[in-house]
Amino acid sequence: MKLERRIGIVLRAGVVISSACLAVGLLLDLATSAALAAWLLNAGIVVLLATPLARVVVSTVQYVNQRDWRFAALTFIVLLELVASAVAALVFNRRI
Amino acid sequence: MPVVTATLALIIFASGTVAGSLGALLGLGGGVFLVPFLNLVIGFPFSVAAAISLTTVIATSSTVSAGRAGKQLINMKLGMLLEVATAAGSFLGGVTAQFVSQSVLQRLFGVVAVVVALIMLSRLRRRNVILDPAADPGILGGRYHEAESGCTVTYRVKRLPLAIAASFVAGNVSSLLGIGGGIIKVPVLNAWCGIPLRAAAATSAFMIGVTATAGATIYYGHGQLQPALAAAACLGVQLGSWGGMKFGAAASAKWLKILMAAVLFIVAAMMFTRGGR
Repeated sequence: MKLERRIGIVLRAGVVISSACLAVGLLLDLATSAALAAWLLNAGIVVLLATPLARVVVSTVQYVNQRDWRFAALTFIVLLELVASAVAALVFNRRI
Repeated sequence: MPVVTATLALIIFASGTVAGSLGALLGLGGGVFLVPFLNLVIGFPFSVAAAISLTTVIATSSTVSAGRAGKQLINMKLGMLLEVATAAGSFLGGVTAQFVSQSVLQRLFGVVAVVVALIMLSRLRRRNVILDPAADPGILGGRYHEAESGCTVTYRVKRLPLAIAASFVAGNVSSLLGIGGGIIKVPVLNAWCGIPLRAAAATSAFMIGVTATAGATIYYGHGQLQPALAAAACLGVQLGSWGGMKFGAAASAKWLKILMAAVLFIVAAMMFTRGGR
């Protein structure tokens, strides 16, 4: 499958799943403020944040398969930068 | 952290809808309108406003790019190369934002709003440099079919170091201020790097998902992202940008740009007066 189509599928799946979690979570939160609401809202945010990350992973894998080392390396660097921001997030979280 | 009530969620949903449709009509993300609204009108701390706005940037990027993937308008290779620079800028900006005071960020936002307004006014007439369709686009160039004119557009990328530098700055500003950063990249890519406006805008919209993720993750980890409010804003922006794209062709872009430039000058003035306190 072509990379563009694969990326399109990843992005669409991410948008649908995160929007569904956020919409149901928000309505539940306003109605009952149950624990499930908070879980759904956080799941929606995590899926939202993970969607661009997932499309970078898909690109890296595809470029490695095609033996396009230059772009495999570039997308891998982007992946490392996203991981670095997740690590920074955990460090800030620990300090509070 | 603000308490979430149904009224507040509704106000944020509505402001997201307006920001998203303005963004789609003007060809930029809605963040440049959403952040000042949340910060100056609703009164959220700047970092809370920026965090909410960054999540809407990701939602917009994923939605818009999912619809465009496979149509060759997004230059994925160029986008992935420039993402190395935007993600680095965004990471540094996200870390810096945790140590900078609100008034500094407000003043910086004021400066960026003025720059955005001036760029918008100076680009009322768009300009493209397009090659003969038989030309070789090179590794980073591209070729796409333009439905309106029925032509195949071919272009090569010029001045790559400038594109990389602009992407780094755009990424940095993005996570400091909670905007997508397309307003900085798109004019540079179009005016100096030889990329047709529509391809530059589509490629930028594709990239800002990664850019905003690097920033938003840091705000989320720091506990500055309120998920319920981000949910209301994201759903609003998605509705707004869908509406804006659907009905956008009818609006007169020129007058809209002049009006929005005026709004941005007012935003800048407000940011400066608040930031000065």
